[in-house]
Parts: sequence; C-alpha cells; structure tokens
Amino acid sequence: MTTTESNQQTPPVFVHPIEAEFARILDYYHIPWEYEPRTFALHWDDEGNITEAFSPDFYLPDSDLYVELTTLRPKLITKKNRKLRRLRELYPDINIQLWKRQDLRDLMIKFGIDEHAAKLLGTDSQEK
Amino acid sequence: MSRYFPPEAYGELADGIREVLFTEEEIEERVREIGQAISHDYNGRNPLLIGVLKGVMPFMADLLRMITIPMEVDFMAVSSYTVESREQGMVRLEKDVEIPIEERHILFVEDVIDTGLTLNYLLRNLRAHEPASLEVCTLFNKPRRRLIPISLKYKGFDLPDRFVVGYGLDYREKYRNLPFVGLLKPEIFQP
Repeated sequence: MTTTESNQQTPPVFVHPIEAEFARILDYYHIPWEYEPRTFALHWDDEGNITEAFSPDFYLPDSDLYVELTTLRPKLITKKNRKLRRLRELYPDINIQLWKRQDLRDLMIKFGIDEHAAKLLGTDSQEK
Repeated sequence: MSRYFPPEAYGELADGIREVLFTEEEIEERVREIGQAISHDYNGRNPLLIGVLKGVMPFMADLLRMITIPMEVDFMAVSSYTVESREQGMVRLEKDVEIPIEERHILFVEDVIDTGLTLNYLLRNLRAHEPASLEVCTLFNKPRRRLIPISLKYKGFDLPDRFVVGYGLDYREKYRNLPFVGLLKPEIFQP
C-alpha cells in the first residue's frame, strides 16, 4: 500500500465551509485534529503509478479516527462510497467514518445552528 | 385503565411525531432494569450520580427512584456550541458539581451519547478530581457517529441515526416532556 503524509505547519485552507464548521466544533470541545494529513493510494496502473487516491478530510489523533464529510445528496455519493470501500479493503486497520449530509445536518440541529447549517448544506438540507 | 397517557394526549407535540420508537412502558421497564443493576453493583459504595442538564432530567428522576441503595445526586451544566458561543472560545462549565467527588464512586448519567464530544469534556473534568471510580450510564446510545470512544457501563437502548425527541431529548427546547421517544416529522425541521 502507499500513503503520503502532509506536513501541517500552517492553518489549513478548507475546501468547503462545512469543514471549517466541523473544525470549529472540534476546537470548541478541545479535540485535536489534522486536516487531510494523509493520502491513501487506491488504484495503480500497470507501471505502478497511482491513478486514484483518497485523502480523508480529518484525522483525530486521540481517537485514531479519520472522518470524511460530504454534503452531496444521497443519490450522488456512490463514488465516495466506492472509494471508502476500496480504502477499507486495502487498509483494514484504518478507522474511518463517513459523515453524510444528514449526519451533518443532525449535528447542526443538535447544536441549535440548523438555520446556519442550511446555508452550509443548501436550502433543501432538511430532506429526510 | 392504563396509567400511561396515550401519545395523542400530547396534542400538538404528538402531532409532530412521525413514529414512536420507544414507548413509555418500554422506557420504564428498561430504566427499572438499569436501576436494579446499579443497586446491585454499587451496594455499599454510596455512589454519586451526576447528570448534565437539561436533557437528562426525566431519565435521572426515574432512575433515582429505581435505585434501592443509599446514593447521592448532583448536576453539571455546560455551555452549548452555538454560532455565538463559538466566537467566544471553547466549551466551559456553566455549573460544576457541588458535592466533592474526590474518592467517590461516580456514575455519570446521560440521556443520549452521540459524538461523545460533550461527555468527553465533562469526564476529563471529573477525572481531574480523582474520584474512586468513574463510569458512564446512558439511556440512549448513538454509536455510529462517535468521535471519541466512550466506555459504557450501563446502556438502555441503541438509537438509529435519526434525530429523535422525547423523554428529555429536544428540538429547539420542545418535546422534552414527551414520555416516549420518537422521530420528528420532516416538516418540523423546515426553517
């Protein structure tokens, strides 16, 4: 297997605002985290070059847990699910959670910031 | 005549419920079993039960009355993560326990454990006071989104990965007084 690790010396630039919100929640509860610290190779070509890789959004060192967030609607996360299945096949010792759109929305509701979440997740984020 | 109110007795609150997951009777029976187990396990240890406000109130009130050994109870309160509070820094205790916990057998009582973020913070605080033991009892457990591993000594029910209300669990401070636990109708969430 092949993985690469990033050297995080500067504050990360989050790809999506929901990632920034997730990081703020972790900070609020004093939970150490790293942003996309490691890239896992998933597929290689015949010459051994990596053709597909996956970088989970967060790593929580205290829990030895990777967390991937997605705001995609359920119909659109097939590719993400496939990557996660492949990751688990190749790296069975890796502990990873996929937080889907509804998980994120429920988290925001729990914290009473669901109206704020609607801005982050989209206006139809309440769909069940 | 049943001594339980039917769900429809709760009028507009019950109207918001799509499905009852755990009835009042089921909850009562499970709480009784947990109370009996605690009474057995902590006999002669005068446990101090600690809960975090506000969601734990119904469970704590019912659980206490199912425990048949001497015990004490105290509560904590913690700041919630909100758009406003996150700007002010980190989580903080808004109310600490009033009973000294050093060398005490502590049983931390929760209504529901989901990510474990709040509980992890509270347990760290309690451990710093060096109790004789520190265990966790939760009525409801949502393990799939657990970000911090939490060891549970007593557990009532596993919950599905859905937003549930009742028996202390709220949506915008409503539904805590329902004696059962259910799923909210989707339209309730509409902003």
